[in-house]
Formats: sequence, structure tokens, C-alpha cells
Amino acid sequence: MARRKKSKTQKFTIGMRKKLVVLFVLVLLAFVGLGVRLILITKNNGEEYERQVLSQQQYDSTTLPFRRGEILDSSGTVLAYSEKVYNVILDAKLLLRDEKYLEPTLKALVTNFSLDASEIRNYLSEHATSQYYILAKKLSYNEIYDFQEMITPGTETYDENIQGVWFESSYIRKYPNGSLASDVIGFTSSDNVGMYGLEEYYNDVLSGTAGREYGYLDDDSNLERTTIPATDGDSIVTTIDGNLQNIVEKHLNKFNETYANNVRTGNGANNVGCIIMDVNTGDVLAMASYPGFDLNNPRDITPLIGMPAVDEKGNKVSGESVYDSGVYITEEMLAEFTDEQLYQNYNALWKNFCIADTYEPGSVAKPFTVATGLEAGAITGDEVYNCTGSLNVGGWDIKCHNRYGDGLVSVERAIEISCNVAMMYIGQSIGVNTFTKFQKDFGFGLKTNIDLAGEARTEGLTYSASNMGPTDLAINTFGQGFNVDMIEMITGYCSLINGGYFYEPHVVKKIVSSSGTTVKNIEPRVLRQTVSPSTSEKIIQYCEAVVMGDEGTGKTARPAGYRIIGKTGTAQTLPRGNRQYVVSFMGAAPADDPEIAIYVVVDRPNVADQSTSTRLATTLVRDILTEALPYLNYPMTEELSEAEQAELASLREQLITTAPDPTAEENAEEVEGEETEAAEEASSTESSEQSDNSLIWETFDRDAETGYYVDPETGALIDPETGTESNGDVLPDFTGTVEDSSTVAESN
Amino acid sequence: MDRTATLKRANTAQREETYVDYSLIFVILFLLAFGLIMLYSTSSYEAGLSTGDSAYYFKHQLFPTLLGLGAMLFMSFFPYRFLKKLSVPIYLFAAAMLILVIPFGKTVNGARRWIIIMGVSIQPAEIAKVAVIVLTATMIMKLQKSLMTPKGYGVAVLFPLILALMVYKITRNLSSAVIILGITIIMLFVATPGYKRYVFTALVLVAFVAVIIAIIANADDSSGMNYRFRRVLAWLDPNAYASDESFQTLQALYAIGSGGIFGKGLGESMQKMKLPEAQNDMIFSIICEELGLFGAIAVMLMFLLLIWRLMLIANNAPDMYGALLVIGVMGHISIQVILNIAVVTNTIPNTGITLPFISYGGSAVIIQLAEVGIALNVARNIGRY
Repeated sequence: MARRKKSKTQKFTIGMRKKLVVLFVLVLLAFVGLGVRLILITKNNGEEYERQVLSQQQYDSTTLPFRRGEILDSSGTVLAYSEKVYNVILDAKLLLRDEKYLEPTLKALVTNFSLDASEIRNYLSEHATSQYYILAKKLSYNEIYDFQEMITPGTETYDENIQGVWFESSYIRKYPNGSLASDVIGFTSSDNVGMYGLEEYYNDVLSGTAGREYGYLDDDSNLERTTIPATDGDSIVTTIDGNLQNIVEKHLNKFNETYANNVRTGNGANNVGCIIMDVNTGDVLAMASYPGFDLNNPRDITPLIGMPAVDEKGNKVSGESVYDSGVYITEEMLAEFTDEQLYQNYNALWKNFCIADTYEPGSVAKPFTVATGLEAGAITGDEVYNCTGSLNVGGWDIKCHNRYGDGLVSVERAIEISCNVAMMYIGQSIGVNTFTKFQKDFGFGLKTNIDLAGEARTEGLTYSASNMGPTDLAINTFGQGFNVDMIEMITGYCSLINGGYFYEPHVVKKIVSSSGTTVKNIEPRVLRQTVSPSTSEKIIQYCEAVVMGDEGTGKTARPAGYRIIGKTGTAQTLPRGNRQYVVSFMGAAPADDPEIAIYVVVDRPNVADQSTSTRLATTLVRDILTEALPYLNYPMTEELSEAEQAELASLREQLITTAPDPTAEENAEEVEGEETEAAEEASSTESSEQSDNSLIWETFDRDAETGYYVDPETGALIDPETGTESNGDVLPDFTGTVEDSSTVAESN
Repeated sequence: MDRTATLKRANTAQREETYVDYSLIFVILFLLAFGLIMLYSTSSYEAGLSTGDSAYYFKHQLFPTLLGLGAMLFMSFFPYRFLKKLSVPIYLFAAAMLILVIPFGKTVNGARRWIIIMGVSIQPAEIAKVAVIVLTATMIMKLQKSLMTPKGYGVAVLFPLILALMVYKITRNLSSAVIILGITIIMLFVATPGYKRYVFTALVLVAFVAVIIAIIANADDSSGMNYRFRRVLAWLDPNAYASDESFQTLQALYAIGSGGIFGKGLGESMQKMKLPEAQNDMIFSIICEELGLFGAIAVMLMFLLLIWRLMLIANNAPDMYGALLVIGVMGHISIQVILNIAVVTNTIPNTGITLPFISYGGSAVIIQLAEVGIALNVARNIGRY
């Protein structure tokens, strides 16, 4: 470069270049020095500084809690709210600045919060520089009010010598109704995160944003405080009617009281669930299952007692015998539970049976089969089938409830008396393709997307056209062989009886901001049309026969004074032949234009003979509707018999609601309590005699102990009302897992 | 390296081939982009609180950065020799701007350092820095041999000194004044032979500072002291002044210490909520906290690479004037980076010095990019003469 000759410009000399390199080396040294310093700071003081950062974060920048939104019922009654509570914090450093502060502050603390003065003194002497010590936790505003006055300048009781105490606020979740709608609402963990039910599903809506109070330095290096206020969460208004929910839960509890420890030690049934739904909107008006739990204390162990124990996968622990419905939790078992086992069973308690558990629905599926037949044109409704007591499908004899045969059965009568054989014939004319397509339309095997956490996935629990054999189709027609959950069934059923509109079920109808303005209205959503209005009309007519017809299987579900529709169900469980049943009733009222649908499921009732216990579900529905329909302002349309009037009068005293009853005044004096029982008995025998025409089993001898008829050929017990054989399964044991001689014999 | 190969080829072939220092440009662009990301990360919380727009500082830095890139591009095509003729006008312009601060200055954070022209706030001290680089380079060229005489040397120091004093007196900005003098000294150090007087001056300076510090440290009562002296005390014992003078320094140390080796992650700094003006002088501590030692040393290496590239340009400059200009730029950037990191690590007492290309500040980034533009222009001319 220096080779250039004719250059006027002054060149950068070698000496300068050297100095420039020296300069660069100096800069390099400075960088190395600073780098080493950085490393030293991190290495020597890293931990200490990190602690500093964290500690001043706590002290200088406090989080201001948000208020979690409320959960309200449809009429605005509060089901869940958050209450502000205060922790009393001691700042020892601040208090010990001056000797004169100590005594007045201690005195005020002791008198206001009944704290132990010597304990505080001990703490102060040991931790003189502590700035954060919780003296008392979760006090209400009333409890701290007096002290707050003392430390607020300008108030009458202000004492400037009280120093170094401040209040830290937080919120705790309260459920004023205790266990009401516990499965629907869910609860929150200590850090305000929703668990189960609405609290979990709507956690993001209910949660607000925490605020922050933090310190910074102004130009004169004074510490200033700034506050970003917390944003409170939105509230949700549910479709749940608190009073209706209360009625339902009262009767579920009553059911349990009646049947608990009946033939086995444990609850009245493994599970009892009830859903009441608005037929024309998909609004869930009430949803409950037994047992519930206290939302204010979800870890209370008492509701666990009597529940069937579950294993780590949440499956029921099986008993020694295949006939055992489960292993029921006792106090002794609780004492021996490990923490893990305890939580497994808590989860079983906390989950919502109505949406989380699947089972084979049984005969309540029959209206769906008939609707499919009508809608697909496979049947007209005028068909008559001949039921001989069983039908051979795919090499298996599949029986009817009445093993002696129902004779000639019309479509309506098939529903009324719940004839399996007729259903199987209808199923055969429908075929697997149409049948499975309609099952999907009715929502079987699909989540309903109800706005509650923990809905079961039923995908894969139903058949598809490709894997459904003729036997599968046959048993599917009467609700065996596929699994559903309660919310699926009732949602589908509502569409059958409301003209075919399949609504998405939902529990929340409105989201409201903390200031009270509506953030979002959740309108009923029609997802699809399942059946035509004319099919819907026919299904209503058939279902009415179940309750109102002479031979109806659901007569006992009728509340006095009302016409309702419905369908009973008695489903076998797996393994076949285990003598365990799921009994249910799914209905709606009023009969001429159904508006309210109700579905009750009793899973493995605590009775000696579960197979003939369908009555448990129907009477539970009757008890609930007897109270619920007057409350919902449905007028009585039927004449009351004397016995019914008497029954109503005695019930009225226990009513939760004081809904006006037109007959109340007339009947109150006429009837006395003692007469009621006798009258009821008389009427029930009367009605069974009336319905009697050609009931074969009534010619049999009667068993003295149970009142059942005895089949002279097999010696089996026959239910006097329905002709159902006690523990006489309609289904052959396809898998052959149970060696039950009677079942094997019958299937021949 | 292929670049030096290119260089040699350019020289030997005597072709009019322009040389573009891509590594330098890359380093600059990297630092700018990185700086904007860190600026957003550091300031978004505070900006969201005080202005309601968490990108406030980011947006206000983005525009000057783009403007600065424009200035850099312009200066890289602007023949640097013309600066020799412009040196006096630039010097006078800088001085005039400083004087304008007296009547028209805007006070921010208690310091009158800005003047607003058509809605744009300008910090005249930054202009003074570039003016000093150009002036000193020109003076060295003019004085030549007489630099060796005390009189000549004195003249070379005098004019920058005047500007430095103006910066100090008018804007009460000691650190900028020190930087201006530092740039001059560095340029003279390279331009004049011999080390003796520099070593001697450095020793005298160190002794003087040590004495001052000793006096301050042993003073009985610190309450009546000038705030600069109190800062010295805070530097010596940060924990004793934790709530006022050394609050910022201490918080910066906490930030560095809590970052560890790989840091808490981008945007995860907790100290940015506490550290006042974190996006200005203290941004390096937030880099340490979020990206750890690894990130901090990577940033320092980037600056070192930048300074090394500048040194190469100066060494290969076509003439002495170009070399001096580049040395001035190099000196400016070196001083600011070293002093900034030294403050953040509490190696020296707290003074308000920003980190070039990264800290928040529009005037600074425009001026610094323009200076890089000058260096790039010198680089373009390598091998042309």
C-alpha cells in the first residue's frame, strides 16, 4: 500500500498504525475486564441477587387479586360468589424503627385479633428485619374494620403509634347453598382455578386479570407507588332453576334414605342421576346426581361412604362375586386409603354422573328405533307383529321381557309394553345403514358439547354400519349393545318430541360483566332436524301410552293430576348374567305439548332383584314431577281420585316451594293422614286388576315372600305387573363369561 | 480471509473497484435489530403503564433508526475529504445548537438537554460529538509537525475543550463532555508519536481521582454534598444508599446477578418493572437478566467485532485524514460501550451514558449511524489512491 509514488496525500504512518493497534489492545483489555466483572457478579452474587429480585418483587410489587365472577341461577339467585378476605401482615422492620411504636401496636393487635402478644414478641426478637409475616389469615372486612380505622389517618380512633401492620386482600370462593347443584357448579382450588363443572368450563370467563401495585423512583429518587387495578371476572347466569334443582335433589336424597343399606351396605344405588330439560330450547333446568358434595368443603369424606370404590383408572372395583354391584366404601376402608386412593374416589364423587358416565340405555332407546323406522319409511306405524316371547337372530334366541309372548303387538303397543321382539322386527326392516345413520343424527356416539367440564367421549361406543351385525342391530333396537350418557339421551329425546329440532344442550344463558352489563347472550342453538313433525307427533302418542295406557310399563311415573309421556328402561349390564341392571325413565310433560323433559337413571339399585326394579325410576320421576309441575305453573288437567287428593295433601307439608295449588283449600280438611295408605293400596290393586285380561302369569301360584308369581315349569319368579322374569335376562350371554345355569338353560 | 484477498487484488490491479465492508454493515444491522427487540422487551411494561401503548418506545425508536440508516447510506457516498472544508461550519453549528438550548431547551427528567425543532427533539451534545471528530481530524492534518510542540498540541486540544465545557455548562451533561474530550485525546494519541506523556497524564489522572475519592469517602457529613459526590459514595457502598442514589445501580446489579448463565428468557425480566429508565442507560443489565452471561458476552463480542472492523478500515485508509476520522468514530463507540458497561456493573460511579445502537435515544442513533457512514465511505476509497 505504501508503494504508491505520486501521492500528495499524507499517508497513515507505520508508527500510527502501531499506536492504533495499541489502542485496540487497550479497548480489548477493557472489554475483557468488564466481561470478567460480569462473570464475577453472576458467580459470586448471583444467588443473593436473585433472592433480592424475588423478595422485592413480593414487597415492592404486590399483586392485587381479581374478584372471580359469580354463578347465578336462572332467576338471579347466587349459587357461587367470591368474598374479599384479609390477611394481617406484620412488617417487623417498620415496627421496630422506634421503641414507642411497639407497645401500642401490640396492644391493638391483641385486642382486635386476639393474638398472643408473647408470640409476636418472640417473632420480633428473632426476625427483626423481616418485612412480611402473616399474623392472621382470611379475616372478613368486619373483623378488620376497627383496626383499619386505627391505622387510617383522619379517623377518630387513628393512632399514629400503630405501625408496621398492613392488610393483604384476597378472595375466597363461597357457595351459599352448600351442596346444591354441586356436580353442575364444580368448585375452585385455593388459587382460584376452577375444577369440574361450570367453574372449570367457564374458568376463563369467571377469571379476571390480577392488578399490580408497584414502586418506582421519581426524578428525586423518591419511591413512588402506582396501582394498576385488577379487572374482575365476568359472572355467568345459568339456565338452572334453583328451586327445581332443590326439588330434584330432595327426592334423590330421599330415594337414597329409603334404599341405602337395603340389601347391601352402601348407597341406594351406585349412581342416581336426574336431568330436567326445556324441550324447546335445550336449556338444562336441573341436573343432579347422588351423592352430591359440599362445595364449600369438597374434601369432606362423609359423602364417600357408601359409594362404590374405584381404582386408579376410575373404574369400579369389582366385588368377589360377579353378582356384586361393587365394593362399597366404609369408614374402615377410608381409614386405610392411601392419598392416591382417596383422590381417585374424590374424583368419582366430584364428576358429574349425568354427563361423565356411560351405560347401555335399555328400552328408553325404543322410541328412537320407532322414530327411525317411521322417518326412514321402513314402517308406517300400522304394522302388527307377533311376539312369541323370543326371536332368533343370527343364531341367538333373544327374548322379550314377557317370555310367554305378547301375542299380536302394534307399533304403539310395542312401545307401551316395551316389546323387544317387535323392536327387532322393526330393526330388521330398517337395516344397519339407516339405523346407524339415525343413531348419529340423534347424537349417540357424539359429544353434545354441553358447556360443562368432563363430558364423556362416547365415540366408539356405538356401532357403525360396517361393523354392525344382525344380532348387534337386534339388540341395539331396544337399547343394548351401545353406550350413551344421560345428556345424550335426553337431548336426543327432546328432539323426538319437539318436532324434530335437535338443540345443543346448554347450562349458561348469559355472561354478565362485573358492572352488570351483558357481555354475551347464549341463545338456543338448533343443530339439525332429526325427525319430521309428523313422526314427532306419533312418538308423543306412543310414549303417552306408556304412562297412560292400560298395559303401560310406566304407569307409576304419572304424577297425580297430570298427563305425561315417557318410556321406561331396564338395561342389562356387562358381563351379561351379572344380575345388575340400570333402570331408568325418560319422559316429558305435559302430554299434549311436551315442554319439560325429565330423565332419571338409577344405576344398580340397592334392591334384591334389580331386574324388576324399574318402578324405582318411575316413582322417582312421579315424586319429582308431583312437586315440580305445580311449581312450574302447569295446571292439572286430570281428575284426582280421592286417594291422590289425600296423597297430595300430605305431600304439601314437605314441599320446598309454595306454588299455588287450586285444589289445596278444598282438600286440606277432607282427608286425614291415616286413610292415605290404605286408599293407595286399594287403588293400586284395583288398577292392576282392571288392566288384567290375558296375563298368563297371573294364573300361576304366588310366592308368599315377594308377592311374585312362580312359573311352575322353571320355578322362576315373575313380576306381577310386567310379567318380567326375576333376573331373567332377555339377552343371551354372547361372550359366555358368566356360568349362570339359568341363563344357559333359558337360551336353549 | 477472502476480504483481505479482495483488498490485495484491488490494490495490485489498481482498479476502480469499490470496497464495501459487509461485515461492518452486518454487525451494525444486527445490533440495531437486536437493540430494537431488547428495547421493546425492556420498555413495553413501563410504556404500557405510562402511555397506554406498550410499543411506545419501540415506535419512537424505529423512526430515528430508519432515518439513521438513511444518514449512514448518505454519508457512505459522501466523499469524506469534503468534511475537511466543512469542519469549521459543523463545529460552529454544534456550538450554536448548544447555545440555543439556553433559551429554547426542553427539560426532561430535570435536565435541560433537548431542543425541539419542528416537533423533533434533538440532543445537541450528540451533534457536538461528531463535530469534534471532524474538527480534531482536520486540526491534526493542519497542524502536522507543530503538533509535537506543546503550543501546537494545546491548540489541538483547545477547541474540543471549549465544546466540551459548553456541553457541561449548558446541558449539565458531564458524561457527554468527558466523551468529547476522550475522543480528541484518543485521536491525538494515535496521531502523535511517543507514549510517555499519555502514560504520565493517565497516572496523574488516576492519582487525582483517587485523592478526590479518598476525600469524599472520608468526609463526615455527606448530606450537603454535590450530587456527583454522593454518587461516588453510593458507588463505593451501594447497599448504604440502596433506596436513593444507588437504587438504579443496585437494581442493575440484581438484574445481572439474577440472570445467570443463560438468563430468564427474552421478555422475562422482572427488574424492568423496577429499574427506572431501564430502556436508556441500564438496558445492558436487562440484556444480562433476560439473556444471561451468554447474551451479554455475545453483545460485547459484537461491539468488539465492530471496533476491530473500524480499526482495519483505519489501518487501510487511503490517507491519514480518512484514518483519523475512522479512529474518531472508533474512539467514540469504544468509550461509550466501555463506560456504559462499567456503570452497569458498578465498576465506575453512575453517569448517564447510553449503549450505542441499543439504548433508547433518537439523536444518538442517527449521529452514530452517520459516523459509521463516514467510516464506510473511507472504506470505499481503500485502494483508490
